[in-house]
Amino acid sequence: MNEIWLAFLASGLRQSVPLLLAALGGMFSERGGIVNVALEGILLFGALAGAVTVERLENGLGWHSFLVPWLGVLAAMVVGGAIALLHGWICIRYRADQIVSGIAINMLAIGISALALSSLYATTASSPPVEQRLPTWAGFSPLLYLAFLLVPLSWYVLFRTPFGLRLRAVGEAPHAAASAGANVNRVRYSGVLISGILGGLGGAFLSIGILNQFVAGMSAGRGFIALAAMILGNWHPGRILGAALLFGFTDAAAIFLQSEGVLPGSLIQALPFLLTMLVLAGLVGRVRPPAASGKIEEE
Amino acid sequence: MPEVRSLWNLLAILLAATLLWVGPFAVADRSFSGSAVLITPTTVLGNTNEQIPDVTFLFNFSLTISILILSTAIIPQLPNKTRPWTYGALGGLILLGYAGATWAFYQEVWTINQAALAAGTDPRRLPLSGYSLSLGAYAGVAYGLLCLFRAQLATATGYASLGRVRPLLVPVAALGLAILVGALLVQLTLPATEAKGIAALATRLDQLTYVFQLLFGPLYRLEGIMQSLQLATPLIFTGLAVALAFKAGLFNIGAAGQLTVGAIAAMLVGVYLPGPRFLVLPLAILAAAAGGALWGAIPGWLKARFGAHEVINTIMLNYIAASLLLFLLSSNSYQIFGNNVALPFKAPGPDARSYEVRPEAQVPSLLNMLGISGTGPGELSLAWPLAILAGLTTYWLLSKRVLAQRIGAGIGAGILGLVIGALLPGIPVEISGTVSSVRINGALLLALAALVFYHFLLFKSYFGYEYRVLGQNPQAARYAGIPISRRTIEVMALAGAFAGLAAVHYVLGAGIDEPRLKVSLPTQVGFDGIAVALLGQNSPWGIGLAALLFGVLLAGGLQLDLRLGLSRELVTALQAMIVLFVAAGGFLPRFLGSGGEK
Repeated sequence: MNEIWLAFLASGLRQSVPLLLAALGGMFSERGGIVNVALEGILLFGALAGAVTVERLENGLGWHSFLVPWLGVLAAMVVGGAIALLHGWICIRYRADQIVSGIAINMLAIGISALALSSLYATTASSPPVEQRLPTWAGFSPLLYLAFLLVPLSWYVLFRTPFGLRLRAVGEAPHAAASAGANVNRVRYSGVLISGILGGLGGAFLSIGILNQFVAGMSAGRGFIALAAMILGNWHPGRILGAALLFGFTDAAAIFLQSEGVLPGSLIQALPFLLTMLVLAGLVGRVRPPAASGKIEEE
Repeated sequence: MPEVRSLWNLLAILLAATLLWVGPFAVADRSFSGSAVLITPTTVLGNTNEQIPDVTFLFNFSLTISILILSTAIIPQLPNKTRPWTYGALGGLILLGYAGATWAFYQEVWTINQAALAAGTDPRRLPLSGYSLSLGAYAGVAYGLLCLFRAQLATATGYASLGRVRPLLVPVAALGLAILVGALLVQLTLPATEAKGIAALATRLDQLTYVFQLLFGPLYRLEGIMQSLQLATPLIFTGLAVALAFKAGLFNIGAAGQLTVGAIAAMLVGVYLPGPRFLVLPLAILAAAAGGALWGAIPGWLKARFGAHEVINTIMLNYIAASLLLFLLSSNSYQIFGNNVALPFKAPGPDARSYEVRPEAQVPSLLNMLGISGTGPGELSLAWPLAILAGLTTYWLLSKRVLAQRIGAGIGAGILGLVIGALLPGIPVEISGTVSSVRINGALLLALAALVFYHFLLFKSYFGYEYRVLGQNPQAARYAGIPISRRTIEVMALAGAFAGLAAVHYVLGAGIDEPRLKVSLPTQVGFDGIAVALLGQNSPWGIGLAALLFGVLLAGGLQLDLRLGLSRELVTALQAMIVLFVAAGGFLPRFLGSGGEK
């Protein structure tokens, strides 16, 4: 029984990591006023970049090969950041609807990952498994520790640094922030960039942390679930941690409770979404998004 | 900014002239896997044992066209008055030249094939197959059209006349840009060729062109068009679901979930409700709409009552609907808190799918509606075509009457047409296996009706007017006393109903393979609907055409897999780029872009 509980605990923690990373990312973006629905696609791009980088480099670096998975992580962060900047550029420079742009980037991720797989590996299902996935430290991926460390760090950046103050100001009252001397657009780009880097990390965790390959569509809605976790967490790092754990453990519990004959897994998996809707409606608790999120006004 | 514009001008001229010489003018022969015999103005590339069409005229032709293209460079220096007609004349000459060259090329190809036929070759094994024009010719024709466009712009009222086509400009430009960027993407993914120098460039350009020829290929075959329409049917429904909400200032990302719940409802009625066809089929269709409407009304109500943002709620409801579908169809016995609960919905077998919809509730295939079943010779019944023709003609003829009279008379004439058409003798036709295997069904007619309904609802009805006011200026709507909460719920419910109707295609019409509900229901079309609505600019015509375009691309994408081993997800990437470019409509130059409105 004890072992089952430990396995359940470990699985819940693991499922929480990509959600936590993406939700923290979404928080940075939206605190600056840009809604990042593109996280789903950024996770996918990050997962692809991580797996492909590792697969391409793992036999060519000789004694440096212990670096390979970390280069994969780096590639995932760079690609995630670049995609997020694209989203930011379309939203800020061209004032496109942020949700439309995000949805388009999600579609782009599906299309481009399939094209990349078909041209690199002549298949559209998955990339070949790699040897050099991320190591495990005490049973968990280093990215798991990093993700949990990022919670206090994000809190510090957001509430105790000048950058965090500017980011929140830009998301709440861009005109006031501009009068106070903040470069509104630059701050927004920074927020979006951070969200992309974190989303890319989450993607790398999926492809070379949990698994050892990229599988088509492996983000499987986690980007949207992360958005729900961000809302449930009221755009606050500490509460986002709680929400991400809730979603992650629900996932683990779905398998566990179904096998124990308590509730069918499919119904359990719907519960966090129901909860998010109830919270959003103010029936359970209350959340408040940044006042200027989703709108880019003419300056 | 005249300097910048003349720079673009110069670039266009150089590009057209270069492509003319290095891009293959035409393809003489192409194998199934894409390798081809290319004809460029200077050489013939590729190996073949067959006779090559005689295209000696091509070198002199290209030289002449090049001179014409280069001479357009001086037009901007001419006085204002002479510019329109010089542009027009040069553009016309170029296009005429291409018409002649095309005719000559096809003449040569046909000569060779006819000779082979006369010599007794099997008509399916002609020496030259898969022949077509290619990028070099396309580039020249495009430049000719550009000249005509500039001739129009150079007239005194040129820029003002753009105003009329402005709603078309952004979608068309977005489509063009998406194809360009898509070509760059394809270029990255295609394997390298062994050829060197100019030949390598020509081969590469031909491969690029071939990818897009395949994508648009369904337009040239009857079964291709039918397949495109089949794939477009659900897109029309989900496109309408997104567009209606857009018009009222709401963003419906929940078409996927609404489709799912509509499909569940349609399955419940279609499988379990006994009764005669005239009762059960309409009820099943209504159930699909009602299921979708329910799933759409929830976020509408949450928005109206609690101010909860519909975007997040529709996303959440997508997942809840997916869970529900999985719950109903993945197993028939569950343990809930230790008690066994039995469900009746999953059909026996390894697949997660429902029982088959009763024959009375199935939507007939379009071919059956035209009186055709199976392959071989058949008779094309005139009933439905005549009904639609009579209905529409009556409607247009009565343009002076009140709307209700026009619609009533139109429907009456339609029924009359149906009866008369059924009595008339049919047209004998020969149905091939490929045509009869396309699963296009009556849901297409329903989709067209939905487009018409959308038009009347939004632009001819009192409700539609209020929806649009709500979308354009919620403050004005409040001052005008429009019941915002009610209208919000209504719009979301109607949008959901549109999305739910897509289930008629999948579940009742066997749009994929069988008349059942399956867990593999392609809910992705819910998101494709966003692309359809954006590209179609939320107008009924636009949505229909955009859905058809995506249907063509999706049907063409199947060929990409088959022939080139290139993922058909290229179409998804193209869709994504179209959405991005439409959303960022400000990329167009000032004088073409949003102009007056801000």
